[in-house]
Amino acid sequence: MTIFVLSACLAGILVSLSRQLNGRLSFATSPLIASFWNHLVGFGLLTAVGLAIGGLIPAGALDAPWYAYLGGPVGVVFVAAGSWVITRIGAMNTALMIIGGQMTGSVAINLLKSAESTFWMASLGVVLIIAGMIISQRRATD
Amino acid sequence: MSTQETRPVQANPLIFAIALGTGGLLSLMVHLNGELARAGTPLFASWAAHGTGTVAALVLLALFYRFAGKTGRKAPAPFWAYLGGISGAATVILSSFAVNSPVGLPGTMALGLAGQLAFSASADKWGLFGLQKRSLTARDFVALALVLTGSTLIILSGSQ
Repeated sequence: MTIFVLSACLAGILVSLSRQLNGRLSFATSPLIASFWNHLVGFGLLTAVGLAIGGLIPAGALDAPWYAYLGGPVGVVFVAAGSWVITRIGAMNTALMIIGGQMTGSVAINLLKSAESTFWMASLGVVLIIAGMIISQRRATD
Repeated sequence: MSTQETRPVQANPLIFAIALGTGGLLSLMVHLNGELARAGTPLFASWAAHGTGTVAALVLLALFYRFAGKTGRKAPAPFWAYLGGISGAATVILSSFAVNSPVGLPGTMALGLAGQLAFSASADKWGLFGLQKRSLTARDFVALALVLTGSTLIILSGSQ
């Protein structure tokens, strides 16, 4: 169990590390160039892993709707924007804002899909996140 | 004494708004990549997203190099700054490992957010990877606790 808990925590640490490294690269080049290298290097690593363990393109993978492939281009903008932001407001503020946006965004997507969720819990979560963001924002503009 | 140090480089609310919008973009990306993973595997979804992303970045650079390319004379980046993609790709592998365990999806997400926030706070405190050093205040930890609790509630509500 411990190994799974540690993996989940490490995955989060790596998200933050990735943003810091891309931010450093964008500082020396540009946010879009940093995003390009992030995707190219990640693609190289995942190709190597896929070839090593096999099943890189599983059966049925190509049945996904065409728009599912837009995740990559959206990710380019996401990484570029994150790299730009982190050099300006720091890692912690960037993480707080991105998490806040991600969580409220996913509640919105869920409402649009009218997928099942506990509404009061999701709403309370959004309220707490907004409160947290107002607090961190106040500090930054003090 | 540390006022200079604790003040962000640019405390412009617009930058915070952009960061917030970026997070919204992330929820869209997670949703789209999730569709790919449902048809294939998480590894396939991430591989395909990195591949199409590389092409999209090249197209955008070709179209907007004047605005989005390297501007001015800048010192070259250290080699490790090019390794963000490795860290990003490894995330996918680690989190799919944790998701398919007793930790489950909500646990993986909540622990991941906690790891992300803790490491970001450390990076600011010690000025890691070229970030400006910034001391953490009680206010930071209140904000962190609120965002983490709120996120956990959203995850448990089944919205994520």
